[in-house]
Amino acid sequence: MFSGKPIKPTFKCYLPPVQVWEIVVNEVNFVKKCISAESSQDDLWGKLICTNFKVSFIPQDAPTKQKSKLSHLLLGEHDIPLTCLEQVVTVNDTKGKKKVLGSNQKLKFNPTELILYCKDLRIIRFCFDEAGPESAKKVCLAIAHYSHPADLHLLFGFEYQGRRYHETKVNGSKPRGGFQTPNFDRPSDWDREIKRTGASEWRVCSINEGFAISSSLPEYIVVPVSLADQDLKTYSIFLLDSRIPHWCWNHPNGSALVRMASIGDPIQQKKIEQRIFTAITKSHPQRSEVIRSDLDKCLPNIQDIQSAFFRIRQICVIDPFEESDERWLSSIENSRWLEHIRAFLKHSAEIVYHLDGKNASVILQEEEDRDLNGVVSSLVQLMLDPHYRSIVGFQSLVQKEWVMAGHRFLDRCNHLKKNEKVESPLFMLFLDCVWQMMNQYPAAFEFTETYLTVLSDSMWIPLFSTFLFNSPKQRRKHLMDFTKNKAIPQGEDEAVYFPPVWDWSQQFSTKDQTLFNNPMYVGKGAACVQNGEVKTFRRAKKSYSSTLRGPSASVRNGVKGGEDPFPRRGSLMSELRSDFSPMKDESPSERFFKDWFSRPADQQGVLIPLFMPSHMALWKLFFLRWVPEACIPKGGSITAYHKLSQLVDEIEILQSHLRRYKGPSPGGTPLPSPSGPISDQRRMYFKASSPNDPPTPPDFLTSSFPFSPMGNLCRRGIHGTPISKFLNGARIWLSTETLANDTI
Amino acid sequence: MEKHAGAPGGSDGAGPNRKLWGSPTSGAAAGETPESPSGSHVEWCKQLIAATISSQISVTPEHSTELRGKCSRTRFLSCQERASRPQVSQCHLFDTPPPPIPHVRMMMMRSSSFAVKDVMYICPFSGLVNGTLTITNYKLYFSGTDREFVLDVNLGVISRQETISVPNQGENTKGLELVCKDMRSPRFAYKTEEDHPDVVELISKHAFPLSHNLPLFAFLYKELFPVDGWKVYDPAAEYRRQLTISKVNSSYELCDTYPATLVIPTNISDDDIRRVAAFRVKHRIPVLSWIHPETQATIVRCSQPLVGPSDRRCKEDERFLQIIMDANAQSHKLSIFDARQGSVALTNKAKDGGFESESFYTNVELNFLEIPNIHVIRESLRKVKDAVYPTIDEAHWHSNIHQTHWLEYIRLLLAGAAKVADKLESGKTSVVVHCSDGWDRTAQLTSLSMLMLDSFYRTLPGFQVLLEKEWISFGHKFSRVGHGDENHANSERSPLFVQFIDCVWQMTRQFPAAFEFNELFLITVLDHLYSCLFGTFLYNSEQERAAKEVQTCTVSLWSYINSQKDDFTNPFYVDYQNHVLYPMVSSRHLELWSSYYARWNPRMRPQVGPPHELQRRVEELQREASSSHSLSSSSSHSPTHTTGHLCTPLSDTHTHTHTHTHTHSLTHTQSLIIDCVYDI
Repeated sequence: MFSGKPIKPTFKCYLPPVQVWEIVVNEVNFVKKCISAESSQDDLWGKLICTNFKVSFIPQDAPTKQKSKLSHLLLGEHDIPLTCLEQVVTVNDTKGKKKVLGSNQKLKFNPTELILYCKDLRIIRFCFDEAGPESAKKVCLAIAHYSHPADLHLLFGFEYQGRRYHETKVNGSKPRGGFQTPNFDRPSDWDREIKRTGASEWRVCSINEGFAISSSLPEYIVVPVSLADQDLKTYSIFLLDSRIPHWCWNHPNGSALVRMASIGDPIQQKKIEQRIFTAITKSHPQRSEVIRSDLDKCLPNIQDIQSAFFRIRQICVIDPFEESDERWLSSIENSRWLEHIRAFLKHSAEIVYHLDGKNASVILQEEEDRDLNGVVSSLVQLMLDPHYRSIVGFQSLVQKEWVMAGHRFLDRCNHLKKNEKVESPLFMLFLDCVWQMMNQYPAAFEFTETYLTVLSDSMWIPLFSTFLFNSPKQRRKHLMDFTKNKAIPQGEDEAVYFPPVWDWSQQFSTKDQTLFNNPMYVGKGAACVQNGEVKTFRRAKKSYSSTLRGPSASVRNGVKGGEDPFPRRGSLMSELRSDFSPMKDESPSERFFKDWFSRPADQQGVLIPLFMPSHMALWKLFFLRWVPEACIPKGGSITAYHKLSQLVDEIEILQSHLRRYKGPSPGGTPLPSPSGPISDQRRMYFKASSPNDPPTPPDFLTSSFPFSPMGNLCRRGIHGTPISKFLNGARIWLSTETLANDTI
Repeated sequence: MEKHAGAPGGSDGAGPNRKLWGSPTSGAAAGETPESPSGSHVEWCKQLIAATISSQISVTPEHSTELRGKCSRTRFLSCQERASRPQVSQCHLFDTPPPPIPHVRMMMMRSSSFAVKDVMYICPFSGLVNGTLTITNYKLYFSGTDREFVLDVNLGVISRQETISVPNQGENTKGLELVCKDMRSPRFAYKTEEDHPDVVELISKHAFPLSHNLPLFAFLYKELFPVDGWKVYDPAAEYRRQLTISKVNSSYELCDTYPATLVIPTNISDDDIRRVAAFRVKHRIPVLSWIHPETQATIVRCSQPLVGPSDRRCKEDERFLQIIMDANAQSHKLSIFDARQGSVALTNKAKDGGFESESFYTNVELNFLEIPNIHVIRESLRKVKDAVYPTIDEAHWHSNIHQTHWLEYIRLLLAGAAKVADKLESGKTSVVVHCSDGWDRTAQLTSLSMLMLDSFYRTLPGFQVLLEKEWISFGHKFSRVGHGDENHANSERSPLFVQFIDCVWQMTRQFPAAFEFNELFLITVLDHLYSCLFGTFLYNSEQERAAKEVQTCTVSLWSYINSQKDDFTNPFYVDYQNHVLYPMVSSRHLELWSSYYARWNPRMRPQVGPPHELQRRVEELQREASSSHSLSSSSSHSPTHTTGHLCTPLSDTHTHTHTHTHTHSLTHTQSLIIDCVYDI
């Protein structure tokens, strides 16, 4: 243990990647990072730094390279971006005082502890026993202040990307590639989507160019061919923020998925809706009816979602472990998080029934068309179109239904910590819904749960243009100002000077990115890349055709069973039926689902998740990865992933060998990728038969992999330390809810 | 190996390599298993189409000799035509609970089968079905007449019959509910006619043969398997590395519920052993279960000492434990784990039982594991059944499961076993485990901790040895299952073995790559715990089994399992040699085993747990590999010297290493994949 005054360490040798353009605001030495409350044995000593980007802790002893962790290229193991801070809590345990720090606040006591609650569910605790009380206080105040930026421009991303742009220009290095994900900010992206889905009766409309009619819609939207721009303009006045109906997706049977805002004026409502519905009907090859789904009426609202998330977070990471373990299942149920997840999945499945089973176009309506509509429209597309289950497809879906559709990422994430009332983890809810589907159909997705988790974490790193803005217009304005301020030439591609999160090479090495690849998805992904989207779609179409069949004769006769060919026996049946049959009123959608579930699922066709409460599972990697007590050493699904990856890698090596020696194929069609995967280009994280990856799963695999709960506060044996006495006296103290209202 | 399932064109799936024995397939899979493309996807396929197949057969006992051939052919037809003709009986796939217990060869049952027409099956999921109920001496079999529907209930699984009221049906209509041990209760309505024998009586006779002085079905079942499962456990081989094998119980004279082969410390006289036996309940003296290969620390099991209210002592018993402690040079302590709740142990003491006093036994530490008794466990599982059958209260699913406390008891058990394993592994200390009699919780704890400590027991043969040793030979009272006995209210009954298998399943969920066997294996074991088809789980002790000549008169479950290992193998198995695996005993990681407890509910069925999903993934890979196969074989038709070229990469050193490693380390399924790639 530390005794006396430690020698001041030199930080140069192992300085973590503090960005060159980062400004160190404040720092304090001789800080203890608490690892386990049980003993101080594992605690780390070092320096706590607050910069304009992150809170950084630099351990005095050179960090041992942890193989068990995904290493971020911009953030060290102990770093927390300021935007990731949920709450900054200072404590003086001798005086028994605590305070939640906001921006520009005063602190009347010298803190002995600093606890950081993070939006990615980490909880980090620092002790200032040996640190100078004044400088400790200053750092705490600096962290609190800088985590509440007054303006969006002050987020580090703007500084960082501006510098980076010029730096790479000077160095002459080419702008980074890998932008296969369409942004949906230009007509061509929409055109391609129209062609891909065969939506011939829909057109790209530029009515909102320069955000002329709506500040939250993208500049280009897709509308029915039969609706003229002039009509749309007329309707737009009655819609909230002029969010006129805009197309999301087309089913191969011609049904379309459309979303729009609600019409406030009841007098106009009927008239306008009538016209819109007629236009959508005209765009349907069978002139099918349009079904409207008012999401505000049937789904939890954003506050419900926020409070459910708050509760489940409380149970998973904040409540004392043993205590929450006692009533685990009931607590999970009471949080209602899974109930909300289920509501969204169920409703989306019902939309799938209309589009796929009833061959009808669906219009999703929500007051603002910017929250619930995004969740449902993207889930519906994920269920119906296998394209969106590929990595590029999924990213384009998020781009289309979230970023460009004007989801208020800035407000919902509350990056500026201005208004907690509008904060809501809607995107997180969507990712959890995707995970539920993935959990039920693990071979259907090209990406892994690690990908989803990392994507959710990226929301709290302010370096990417994806999650920073409330609307395409706001985005345009800020990026324009940005180019002016940073002297970036006009006409430069936005993705070059302010890249989206989809440029994963900003955050992770090529090797680490292979953790995103699902080994089960083998083949399909490859075919997709090689032969282009058309091929994928054609395959998809084929699988649709099977689902398009109406209920077979046997279903009609078998399930209903009303007409009995043998009256003699029927007598008993008909009399008994009223008493015993639980099949009283089966709705057509129930029959559709029953029919669908009775067949083996085609992972590349329509996928409907089971949506009974008993089918909803807790996303453990996301919710429990930082909880040391819940981490299974040598276990977790990652061990099967390890095995499978090796197997897939093996197969890919063999296949590439086969291809190399086969020569040109006789049919004249060029063989895909003539050269085999070069070792560093291999798709799998775990490689077959390499000395680094023995067949036995390595010891560093845990159920938290590729994250590590090490370094996160473990509350198990909290008794016995000074802080614990304090905590025991006021257990409620750990609740951020109470803290929020507390000022000293 | 032929791959029927994917092969287009071969409409007759009954391949030439069909196995010669009818397979008492288990779990959700019904019917005979044709030679299959390595158990993986097949099982799922089986589950899904089981109902279809059976419904297409519509067997009457008269045609039964044809059953097997016909059945497997139909199976393949539907397997192949699934994609093109999904409408075939799809509603039944969904409606019909999968017939769980195997078709035993119909021939054998013909002698005593009886068909009752005009019976209604009151399906809790899809309403009424009209049909014929056939009762044999092994199972009852209901097939719909105007609707394709099959229900198959093995008679051994029936716990009791209950008369239910069927309103408005007149006097001659009766209702019958069969309350089963495997979490379901099918209900029937039928008309009684004068010339019909009583259905209740008929079922009762064969479901509870022992109560009617009839033999258990296992004694009639004469299937021949290429493997003899009775040989999987050879105590001498298992103990070879260990201490002296004692002959003191060779004809069960010392303890009638212990096996003939016992391992006890060497330096103790037979007289002393007898005194120890007199001091332990049911004479179950401390005997060796497992010894750590490096530290020599041991797991020893026994029953509670007869301490009594007057604090009796037994010098020999104290010395006996001292010797066990001394046999391990690494530690000067001995840990006794008493599975019971401390308060219960005290009550037992008042009734002449008790526990070792730390002041009389030097250097001994006593821990109570606070595990509740068999009655609590029985009640808990009954609540689980209420929560999952016939209907699930979806609104309160989680809290209902919470209120059964089932997972809480699973947690206590796993936590106890982990403490035992940790004491041995980290503390390098020998442990003694007992409860009251030393045949229930003791067996659960020792076998679970051995599963954590020793990777051998995580293999398919190893697990069989574990069950044979810790459960069967050491006298777990399998009468707790109530084989062939109509006394369903017997308070001695308790699902302790089910609870143990559930714990194993929880471990396989946490370590999906560490066990050689799969979920189907565990479900199969549980199905045959009740079925009375095999002799494996019959009777309470080795002595009883010897008296009934179980090994000669019945077939072992392992004969069946080991004759088709592929079906029961986890394709992701990696040998974690010398790895101690501690499960995380937190509610966060314990789940209700829905695919077993709730499998009769069609809504729960498509929810495939990861083991099945993983197997299906392998099948995906196989397709991928075989498509590359077909690609290459088509190119071999070209005039170029393809073959010559292809030989080159195979002799390439790099590739060669791959082949080498994998043929050694991969399981059968995996090498099959590799084979597909190589097979040019």
